[in-house]
Amino acid sequence: MSGLARDRDFYVAPLEPPPSRRPPITEVGPLGWMRANLFSSKVNSVATVITAAFIVWFLWMFLSWSVRSAQWGVIYNNLRLVTSGLYDRREIWRMELTAGLLVFLSGLGFGVWGRLPRSTFLVVLFVLAILVVVPVIGAQVPQPTIYVLVEPQRQPAGFVFVGLKGQEVSFTFDPLTDPQDATERLVGFVENQSRTEWSTQAFKVRAGEVDLSQYNLAVSVRLLDENGKAVPPAPGSASGQFVANPAGGTLKYILPADDWYVLEVRRDDFVNGGAGGNQGYAWLRIRGVEIFPSQEAAAQQRIEQYGAPPSVERALFAEEAAYRFEGARTFGEFISLQVRPFFNHIALPCLVGAALFFDAWVIGTLGKREKWVRRAALAGWILAAPVILILLRGFEGARVLPLVPTSVWGGLLLTILLTVVGITASFPLGVLLALGRRSDLPAIKWTCTLFIETVRGVPLITILFMAKQIVPFFASALSNMDLTVRMMVGVTLFSAAYLAENVRGGLQIIPHGQIEAARALGLNPLLTTTFIVLPQALRAVIPAIVGQFISLFKDTSLVAVVGLFELVGIVDRIVSGQAIYRPYQREAYIVIAIIYFVISYAMSDVSRRLEQSGAGSIRRL
Amino acid sequence: MSETKSPEPIIICRNVNKWFGNFHVLKDVSLEVMPQEVVVIIGPSGSGKSTFIRCINRLEEHQEGQIIVDGIELSHDVRNIAAIRSEIGMVFQQFNLFPHLTVLDNITLAPRYVRRQPRRVAEELALQLLERVGIPEQARKYPGQLSGGQQQRVAIARALAMQPKIMLFDEPTSALDPEMIKEVLDVMKELARSGMTMLVVTHEMGFAREVADRIVLFDEGRIVEMGTPEHFFTNPQHERTKLFLSQIL
Repeated sequence: MSGLARDRDFYVAPLEPPPSRRPPITEVGPLGWMRANLFSSKVNSVATVITAAFIVWFLWMFLSWSVRSAQWGVIYNNLRLVTSGLYDRREIWRMELTAGLLVFLSGLGFGVWGRLPRSTFLVVLFVLAILVVVPVIGAQVPQPTIYVLVEPQRQPAGFVFVGLKGQEVSFTFDPLTDPQDATERLVGFVENQSRTEWSTQAFKVRAGEVDLSQYNLAVSVRLLDENGKAVPPAPGSASGQFVANPAGGTLKYILPADDWYVLEVRRDDFVNGGAGGNQGYAWLRIRGVEIFPSQEAAAQQRIEQYGAPPSVERALFAEEAAYRFEGARTFGEFISLQVRPFFNHIALPCLVGAALFFDAWVIGTLGKREKWVRRAALAGWILAAPVILILLRGFEGARVLPLVPTSVWGGLLLTILLTVVGITASFPLGVLLALGRRSDLPAIKWTCTLFIETVRGVPLITILFMAKQIVPFFASALSNMDLTVRMMVGVTLFSAAYLAENVRGGLQIIPHGQIEAARALGLNPLLTTTFIVLPQALRAVIPAIVGQFISLFKDTSLVAVVGLFELVGIVDRIVSGQAIYRPYQREAYIVIAIIYFVISYAMSDVSRRLEQSGAGSIRRL
Repeated sequence: MSETKSPEPIIICRNVNKWFGNFHVLKDVSLEVMPQEVVVIIGPSGSGKSTFIRCINRLEEHQEGQIIVDGIELSHDVRNIAAIRSEIGMVFQQFNLFPHLTVLDNITLAPRYVRRQPRRVAEELALQLLERVGIPEQARKYPGQLSGGQQQRVAIARALAMQPKIMLFDEPTSALDPEMIKEVLDVMKELARSGMTMLVVTHEMGFAREVADRIVLFDEGRIVEMGTPEHFFTNPQHERTKLFLSQIL
């Protein structure tokens, strides 16, 4: 076909079309994508470079702050509170069991139903990873060490704390005899006066004014119960008598009961011939003891639970006002003090979880041809919600599963609980309201419209207050209802009204021909709605519905205003209520933001996958 | 086309009147259709022919007159409507397949949930019907994956799955590409030859001439002329018919 001009009047293409060739390398692949999208014009190139520079700068700033100076201990030390609130710490195993159950069901579902719901299960697993595996760790995360200085200027005070039966506590007596000790960084709760005193002394040591090697301290340490009776130390423990040489040692105890305890530290001046000769500094490192809040209400609660604290001359209470939290400062400390212990703690639960998931997956895959396996998987998921609720809540007065009232559930557990209940209850309600609003019967139509418009016209916070205050006023039967349950009702009604409008939008786009075709086939209105209208309408509004669910998830934080401590509420209480963590609000809220973001993003990812999966993605009306 | 006709008409319409608001759509329409008869309804757009056949399965309500289908009079009684709808199959201009269901599910939905047939029985019948309309290999696909002609044939199979006594066709080929019209008409011809009672609204004059027992011309909401194809195409009486045929042929 050379010489177009000569052949222009008459041209016949060869019988075989020319073979398809690959496009040039600069047009496809990552290179082609960058050329087409990032550097398509001068303006675009400049914008790309500036944006990239800003992102790099921002990430650098954030990462260097988060590694070098942030104190993530505020979350790490409070993981149990953040994840489960005031849920009884002796009953944490119930959350572990819940985690195991859900992981098993996820694996089973993954095996039985295969590809389509996979992303859903992955999200469930992810939420679990945060929700339940972490509290398991949270229960095990050791309390930071408490530092109290034993010094010549002050008589040591009796250290007063609350312990539980079976709890392991240890007290290490650590003499400061090496000049290196003056540069050691303390990580944990440092008693305020000890901190002031030691920082002065450490400065003098570094300046050469004080010689630590002139150590000559005799001290005896013992643990007393509330009545002043000595608690026997655990096997392998040091004796409790510390004289200059041998200098240090660790006392271990396994506590015999839930009660107050006093650690008595006595300077044995007689050993060294009077106070003048008994000289030197030593740290008392206390491990396994929980620092408790200083507020009056908390103190009152302790008195109700454990009785009045023992009267000790010069008592040093294990309460937050007397201490300051000191955390990591360098990258190495960050890794060794915060990252490594964290991974050490999650290693075992994660391993167990993975094994459980794998087993269930194998069972599901092998058994998916069997009808009873499929039925069992489905039944398991349907029964999961009530079983878990009962498991976590327990029964009044029961010995095996004692009641853990929902009013003490908190943190992420409460957030997820409100979200899950809100979603599962508001979805059917919202669909019914949407159908009702389109009903031909005016009574139903007007009722639904009135409800939807009223709820949509009122802020959520008002509805929550109404649920708290006004509902019991109107219906005395409801006044005994748990506050948490009332909040669930409030959140559900609010979400249902918005959901109804979203669903109505979906109902409106169904072509009338679909309904006519169904009617012409003899389907009654119920069948038409169930099989023809709703499946299409709901699929069309998946993004809007999931968007509503995401805002429901975020809106649960508002229950904090009526006195429930979900994720935001409990963290707010930690950083504003506990004196020792007050300087670390930034870290706390960043962690919260990350948790919210990841879960929300996972939900919208599921929505995208749902949209793309199945029949709806290839339809053409 | 059919040789033996039972004396009782299966559809009787007497002086049917219908209004959309103030607009008088159907004016004193009277028509009787015998079992196994194929009646083709033609006429200009807006003449009320679609509205008329939609009245027969009560997708539209008529306000005056009588429509009796298979001995049951159409009224507000819901049970009557349900009974009649399962006797009448309908095929729409826009196919109206259910896009979220596979071809097989489209066909078996009504038999399974209205007729309460077991899934296996319904699917067996559906596959036979797909064979009959010539697309058995498309059973597992979704409507969006089929061509227009294939979709319309699925729609016919879906209507037939309820084993109706009467089939209504509302311009079944009007939304199709010219290449696909024939495959749908072939299915309809086969159906007519098998003895199905059919009411067909169409602009396909070739089909009308070949298959129809009777042709009805609608204009401005009334029946203008009615007769056999020979009468209609060779010796039309009414001026309106002559005008219509001159424009369309």
